[in-house]
Amino acid sequence: MNKIKGFRGIGRTAVIGIPYLWLSVLFLLPFLIVLKISFAEPIIAIPPYTSLLQWGDSFWPTIKASFDGYLFILEDSLYVNAYLSSLKIATISTLIALVVGYSIAYSIAKAPRRWRGVLLMLVILPFWTSFLIRVYAWIGILKTEGLLNLLLLSLGVIDKPLTIMNTDLAVYIGIVYSYLPFMILPLYANLEKMDFSLLEAAADLGCRPFKTFWTVTIPLSLPGILAGCFLVFIPVVGEFVIPDLLGGTQTLMIGKVLWLEFFNNRDWPLASAVAIILLAILIVPIMYYQKTQEKAIS
Amino acid sequence: MTEISTIEPWTDSSQKAYIEIKNVTKKFGDFTAIDNLSLDIYKNEFFSLLGPSGCGKTTLLRMLAGFEKPTEGTILLDGEDISQVPPHLRPINMMFQSYALFPHMSVEKNIAFGLKQDKLPKNEINDRVEEMLELVQLTEFAKRKPDQLSGGQRQRVALGRSLAKRPKLLLLDEPLGALDKRLREQTQFELMNIQEKLGVTFVIVTHDQEEAMTVSSRIGLMDTGYLTQVATPTEIYEAPVNRDVADFIGDVNFLEGTYKGKNETGTQLDSDDAKCVVYATQVTAADIGRKLWFAIRPEKLEISKRKPDFEHNILKGKIEDISYTGSMSTYHVKLANGKVLTACRANRERSVEHQLTWEDEVYLHWLPHSAIVLQS
Amino acid sequence: MKRFTAFNMTTLLLGFAFLYIPIIILVVFSFNESKLVTVWGGFSTKWYGELMNNQSIKDAAWVTAKVAFTSSTIATLLGTIAGLVMTKFGRFRGRTLFSGMIYAPMVMPEVIIGLSLLLMFVALSIDRGVMTVTLAHITFSMCYVAVVVQSRMSSYDDSINEAALDLGCTPFKTFFLITLPIILPAVISGWLLSFTLSLDDLVIASFTSGPGSTTLPMKIYSMVRLGVTPEINAVSTILVGLVAIGVVTGSFIGKKQKTN
Repeated sequence: MNKIKGFRGIGRTAVIGIPYLWLSVLFLLPFLIVLKISFAEPIIAIPPYTSLLQWGDSFWPTIKASFDGYLFILEDSLYVNAYLSSLKIATISTLIALVVGYSIAYSIAKAPRRWRGVLLMLVILPFWTSFLIRVYAWIGILKTEGLLNLLLLSLGVIDKPLTIMNTDLAVYIGIVYSYLPFMILPLYANLEKMDFSLLEAAADLGCRPFKTFWTVTIPLSLPGILAGCFLVFIPVVGEFVIPDLLGGTQTLMIGKVLWLEFFNNRDWPLASAVAIILLAILIVPIMYYQKTQEKAIS
Repeated sequence: MTEISTIEPWTDSSQKAYIEIKNVTKKFGDFTAIDNLSLDIYKNEFFSLLGPSGCGKTTLLRMLAGFEKPTEGTILLDGEDISQVPPHLRPINMMFQSYALFPHMSVEKNIAFGLKQDKLPKNEINDRVEEMLELVQLTEFAKRKPDQLSGGQRQRVALGRSLAKRPKLLLLDEPLGALDKRLREQTQFELMNIQEKLGVTFVIVTHDQEEAMTVSSRIGLMDTGYLTQVATPTEIYEAPVNRDVADFIGDVNFLEGTYKGKNETGTQLDSDDAKCVVYATQVTAADIGRKLWFAIRPEKLEISKRKPDFEHNILKGKIEDISYTGSMSTYHVKLANGKVLTACRANRERSVEHQLTWEDEVYLHWLPHSAIVLQS
Repeated sequence: MKRFTAFNMTTLLLGFAFLYIPIIILVVFSFNESKLVTVWGGFSTKWYGELMNNQSIKDAAWVTAKVAFTSSTIATLLGTIAGLVMTKFGRFRGRTLFSGMIYAPMVMPEVIIGLSLLLMFVALSIDRGVMTVTLAHITFSMCYVAVVVQSRMSSYDDSINEAALDLGCTPFKTFFLITLPIILPAVISGWLLSFTLSLDDLVIASFTSGPGSTTLPMKIYSMVRLGVTPEINAVSTILVGLVAIGVVTGSFIGKKQKTN
């Protein structure tokens, strides 16, 4: 890989420096601040938390750190359940999205070449429309007086309206619906490059189609599968909008908890602690994701 | 004898080299690509760097262009040290293997690009571009974009673009690799003509020995970072320094043996392969019993059904294989001890039937000055 | 031999139905005379009329437009530089961290990004408003642009840049005369991507905006919490329509460029 040789010394450092500086200040630094605030205590003031360093009579400041927030979270079953529930919902949604997304991506990859561009555009189009709007669209469908119930009642499939809205099921539908393009695109990128003659070779050697799929196609598309799953799982764990609009009071997701803690309870240190723990849970998948992407490029 | 020295300046010690590569080493981490290489190239030469993939020839070329800096050593151009000069400030231009044409510019603009960087006046640029277009015969294609041209046409644009600035030195990185055989041969001659006409020094990198032999004034044969031999095509072919060089260019037969001594007729080699004593006129001093090789090119092995009327250098064998290419026939002859020698000759007489055919018992013979003795 | 089976066709039809039916319903009911979602009261454009009179929605739309244009442009600048650095600058000190900061925002839950930015703005006593939302949007958008540019640059033929250098062009000029024109489609699609992300963002904007800087998604969200009304459908339809036109135009231009 050739380097642009001219960018030596000052020029090179400046070019690397500009985005580096921006991200350090606006991405990295905020995390450090969240960390700091998570050790503070909530007070009625602006800002509504105590500061980390207390300047008293002596020359050096004392560090006033409180682990109350963390202890509270780890001991309270509400929070623990929220984390676990978020992980559960994220895992299940990711798997559903994987099955649905894989089928669609595979079908597009096998479609005649001239259709593929159009098909992909059709997949991407919903992604470009507002996330919020698409979730909102489902409210009208899933409500008790909504269109889905209307349809099923009029067809005589059911005699009482189904309660889907404000349940976990609605959340699953909403998540799969919203994140499907994120699953399809990396899967498709991988499947498109697949050498279908490998499948023919397997068939030639006596392997049945079903078995070929599991022993040849799936392993070869693994990078795409992993990328798609990361792109769905990680953000879904902290998802807020969908559980808020489509889920019920029983639907526990940590993103919602964080929002409520921050906006409704105005407990910034607690919200920060929630965020830090969430980050700690997700840091391993995030780093793993970054590694796979770097490998894919080089 | 000044005439000879302008044709072969490297033989004249009063001539100063145009490019002096002095003790250059290039390392990429632990890997040494070029190992303490020194080379002098003279003005108006058409110099080829020839060698297998990975021998470092492209690295050396890129160092001349300025895209790599030597880890050690210096490079002088017309007496000036250019080792640290960045590529855009060197009076050297390069023709890239992939042609590297600017896809968003027309042929004209591609050729004009270098001239624009020099901030030449507009009409001068236009004149020069026209000149180049005529030189490479692409005048009608001036307004086209690279993706509207064939491979051969793109190659010519690359050539025109690299000559537009009238560089002191032109570097060519495997320029003919992507062309088919006929076009390649045609372009080789065109390159030679252009080089002579413009008086530019060319350094070309190639792995195609035929190409190197055709175009070069001298060839620098490279192997894993160093030069094995630097000589004219004739010298390399007829007087290779070792078996690797002999083997790399063209076909060759080797007869292995031990040094027996020398007499008026030349060096004697007691050859196991030939099961007899063989002779070459080349005088070699060596210890008795030392292992040596005779190298004989197939076209210098005479093949006949009748025993030749000579004293030495006659071997008997059976034709095992024939390769007929129309103008030449190549015979693989198996000697009694199993060794196979290759002999070839022009089919000077027109005949539909083979004069020599499989299983024929034949005699191989060579003149003493046709073989050379190699020590390694 | 890629046999496109009936199973594949069915999958695609079902899949696209799933993806599009909610949007189609949304659009259809924006023309519903009746306020109820499930009862069709006849065709009417009255909700669009109400929309035009709704000042708070119009203000929110203006804020969103300002933020989206500004943030995408700056994000494209920064992201393009970042993408270049990632592919062509080889190894440098701190590369792993840099790469981490590029990929992490793409997967990080938005609540974390929003919270952390807000806390920083507060700690630095920066008033929240249009500027802070813009800064936030630039930060996560530039990562997406970087990835798009990186992907384009990884298949970029370096010898073209070398040829430019060889012909006397300084490295700086080479970027603007040669590299940038060639990768321009990728840069433009990066801009479009940033624009859409900014247009669409709810969570991060909620954290980082202040009084007077309500964005359109924030406004829509607060309307949704109050109840489903066809006015929301109307605003949504307009947005969907704009985006659809943009995407279709974009892909047409992309196709035309390819055939040229």
